[in-house]
Amino acid sequence: MQVVALVSGGKDSSYNMVKCVEDGHEIVALAHIHPPTTAEKDELDSFMYQTVGSSGIKLIAECLSLPLYLQETQGTAITQTLDYQPTENDETEDLFQLLTKVKRQHPDIQGVSVGAIFSRYQANRVQNICDRLGLTMLAYLWQRDQKELLHEMVENGIDAVLIKVAAMGLDRQDLGKTLGQMEPKLLMLEKKYGVHVCGEGGEFETFTLDSPLYKKRIVLDEVDVVVHSDDAFSPVLYLSIKKAHTEPK
Amino acid sequence: MVNFTVDQIRGLMDKVTNIRNMSVIAHVDHGKSTLTDSLVAKAGIISSARAGETRFTDTRQDEQDRCITIKSTAISMYFELDEEQMEDIADKTAGNGFLINLIDSPGHVDFSSEVTAALRVTDGALVVVDTISGVSVQTETVLRQALTELIKPVVMINKVDRALLELQLPKEDLYQTFCRVVENVNVSIATYQDENAMGNLMVSPELGTVAFGSGLHAWGFTLRQFAVRYAKKFGVDRNKMMKKLWGENFFNAKTKKWSSKSSDPMATYNDRGFNMFCLDPIYKIFDATMNGRKNDALELVDKLSVVLTTEERELADKPLLKVIMRKFLPAAEALMEMICIHLPSPVKAQNYRCGGLYEGPMDDECATGIRKCDPNGPLMLYVSKMVPTSDKGRFYAFGRVFSGTVASGQKVRIQGPNYVPGKKEDLHVKSIQRTILMMGRYIEPIENCPAGNIIGLVGVDQYLLKSGTLTTSETAHTMKVMEFSVSPVVQVAVDVKNHQDLPKLVEGLKRLSKSDPCVVCSTSDSGEHIVAGAGELHLEICLKDLEEDHAQVPLKTSDPVVGYRETIQAESSMIALSKSANKHNRIHMIAMPIDEELTKFVEDKKITPRTDAKEMGRILSADFGWDVNDARKIWCFGPNTDGPNFLVDTTKGVQYLNEIKDHCVAGFQWASGEGPCTEEPMRGCRFNITDVTLHADSIHRGASQINGTLRRVVYASAMLARPGIQEPIYLVEIQCPENAMGGIYGVLNRRRGHVFSEEQRPGTPLYNIKAYLPVSESFGFTADLRSNTGGQAFPQSVFDHWQIMSGACNEPGKVFDTVRALRTRKGLNPDIPPLDRYLDKL
Repeated sequence: MQVVALVSGGKDSSYNMVKCVEDGHEIVALAHIHPPTTAEKDELDSFMYQTVGSSGIKLIAECLSLPLYLQETQGTAITQTLDYQPTENDETEDLFQLLTKVKRQHPDIQGVSVGAIFSRYQANRVQNICDRLGLTMLAYLWQRDQKELLHEMVENGIDAVLIKVAAMGLDRQDLGKTLGQMEPKLLMLEKKYGVHVCGEGGEFETFTLDSPLYKKRIVLDEVDVVVHSDDAFSPVLYLSIKKAHTEPK
Repeated sequence: MVNFTVDQIRGLMDKVTNIRNMSVIAHVDHGKSTLTDSLVAKAGIISSARAGETRFTDTRQDEQDRCITIKSTAISMYFELDEEQMEDIADKTAGNGFLINLIDSPGHVDFSSEVTAALRVTDGALVVVDTISGVSVQTETVLRQALTELIKPVVMINKVDRALLELQLPKEDLYQTFCRVVENVNVSIATYQDENAMGNLMVSPELGTVAFGSGLHAWGFTLRQFAVRYAKKFGVDRNKMMKKLWGENFFNAKTKKWSSKSSDPMATYNDRGFNMFCLDPIYKIFDATMNGRKNDALELVDKLSVVLTTEERELADKPLLKVIMRKFLPAAEALMEMICIHLPSPVKAQNYRCGGLYEGPMDDECATGIRKCDPNGPLMLYVSKMVPTSDKGRFYAFGRVFSGTVASGQKVRIQGPNYVPGKKEDLHVKSIQRTILMMGRYIEPIENCPAGNIIGLVGVDQYLLKSGTLTTSETAHTMKVMEFSVSPVVQVAVDVKNHQDLPKLVEGLKRLSKSDPCVVCSTSDSGEHIVAGAGELHLEICLKDLEEDHAQVPLKTSDPVVGYRETIQAESSMIALSKSANKHNRIHMIAMPIDEELTKFVEDKKITPRTDAKEMGRILSADFGWDVNDARKIWCFGPNTDGPNFLVDTTKGVQYLNEIKDHCVAGFQWASGEGPCTEEPMRGCRFNITDVTLHADSIHRGASQINGTLRRVVYASAMLARPGIQEPIYLVEIQCPENAMGGIYGVLNRRRGHVFSEEQRPGTPLYNIKAYLPVSESFGFTADLRSNTGGQAFPQSVFDHWQIMSGACNEPGKVFDTVRALRTRKGLNPDIPPLDRYLDKL
């Protein structure tokens, strides 16, 4: 079926697209929620969306040669329970508007590719939107064992780098490292502090530089390290992409 | 002159009813090792003539030089009782030969962990008390340790020769001195004995559980010996006679009648049974020999039917006195008799000790084996300490077989203190290379060793850190870990002089930590190697061992430093809030100090995390004014799950709270182990979780999110609660003559110490001073004191309590300076991190 892929720029949404294609689906469009242009910071601490990689999202669309639909997030997390009922001004409704817009442009779309692994909170909300729009949610990574999955992504050519850290044991020096480089450390931290190796629960975020679906690859030219909150034990830091370009593979 | 062979001993090991495992315990310098020598002389390992001069059990060169015992040493001895002595043994026996395994332990407080290790493997204790100094701090401490391990005590009042020669005490005064010692010992016994398990353990001369004598001169007696002597002479029952020889019993020489009052006012107390029948002959011998009336002395000797050789008859003065006394009242005879008659056999002792020794259920095969001391049961062996071998880096594991039989080549399960039944951690299955008998300086290989005996093992040292359980039963739990009465409060940082020696230092530290039950070796975050010990002397010995034996490389050491505790002195000025790194979880907390008394309760294990919840609620609400609901909602203690800080849940109706409890508990252990200001452990703090907001989805509130948040909020709430520092304080006991007191006060004043008790020892010109002294001011104290009192004062310092230093960590002042110095030493930034590293805004 024809599918629109929700992308944050991270490894999970990229890898789920690979899985969709493997399963015979056709990705026809990309959709992304980005922070308001007036926001001072790239990180919004949203319950739903990863926004740190927003500035590089256009390059990803370029690499995949697919149309990209954008929506600025306006709402906040008003309904914070696990289940979701449509709520006015909730950030989830931003996604409804975005997918409504995509569906208008591509009436044949039947499915939505989502990179959710363990967050029932996020999956429930996407499911709610899909139900309301008559779409099928395609989440191939759902409930997969995180260690296994991480290894599989590395093996299958997902070249992603850490752009945000927010967990005990992760620090400044880990920003910009690839998943392959981080794998041993993440396994160690899981043992030591119970860190989730795929970064579920917002413990770290990534940006995908290359994937089997990319026709070109992304090169980061200039990044800034932004200190989001300088806490003891688990400082929250992220990379702000200042300049990047694509180059042929 | 060895008068027994290994084969003979092995034969005796099977007769469990005839074994006595005992330790010799006392205050420092009360003469344990010298006394032990006279016992060893009797058992025949060194010749009788040298007894009193060679300290057989002080095997180390530094022990010989300093004249103190540092490591406990075990020796096996053999003794035979005659028929008349056998009559007094109430329990079943097998023949009249006894195997006595004796452990001589150190008296200096710094080494009391050695005493603990010795007590674990023995069933009885010979408590040695100096006649003149009387019951001292360390006597009480070791007695308490013995009684909590369910060890039966008997007493030897030592150094009676000094009372006679130096103080020239009259008979009645000496009697009164003895009475006081016995009374004082009984006060301690009454306080700490477990009457339900072992019955009344009070000692008394008329029961024969108190001996008197001089270890140095190798003479000694119990009332039993005199009773036997007079029973024959007067033809009366010896047990009746024994009762007459102590207490308010007076004998009128004219009427030959006993009465309970001293009827003749002129005779005063001279006709007290004890004075007349026991002390009188001794006083006469002392009088005659020391005043040069040799003929009178020899006449006395013949009258008492003591046989002297011709050469011995040629002696005069002190040597003559010694020889007569030794032959008249041989100390070894009296003590051996007392030990065999009054101390329990392993069979008897293990029956009541089993509950205190074994962690597992009281009805499994191991508990049954221990209770019955069954050589055919499953092997249960407790290794209480490691003894270095002549082979560098290797150790004999020293311990006791409580059940089963241990043999060379046997395959055993080696369970460390952290072993949990059914799990694989801290467990090794290995073969024992050799079993050995340990006898002072010598070791003898032995094929196997049945339950009830003390044994050395070769080939298990690398699998055990310091102590542990060896067993053949798959279902066995571990034996209880020993609790030490001293804590390692003094530390030094050690480093190598030549950088390439570092690996040897690391290896050496491992060996040091094995060889001493109390020392703690650790590496700080900044890479410093820290050695912590009970006191200055203990550290000095440890470092010497480290440099000369364990590492064998030149070392440099920092000045000794003291461990502190972090605490809080008020309730948090506002509710602290910290958010998780993903910002989706929030914990609110308030910190408040705990009563010092309650803190002590926890430290003394009167309340533990295993205390029944209702009982805990009752104690906390009734004795410490807690809200009963709060008391029931203590999530955990920390650090190390049993430390003196509480994490309390005071939230109302928070969803999913139980799911994060484990993460909070883990975070709290960490936070309370390394406080916010100096990374020293916290003490006496209570942290109430007042409210929690959690992400609805469990994946967003994982361990790494909650653990760090809890730690931050603990720090934030502590920093808002006037954080302070507690320093360790020694209780110092000093004995000295009056003219040395000025010097003592001077030294104490200069070192922030203060005297709180000053008493004259009755019947002596000596004063007993008790003072508190900060541990941080105690370095060089002993030497300082000696030089200021002309060597007349000798202090004993033992950790007593933690004392708050006035001031707060985050306000300029002495505490602030201490904190900065501590942080600098640890390689941290001297400034305390700003509050906003821990505290968040909503």
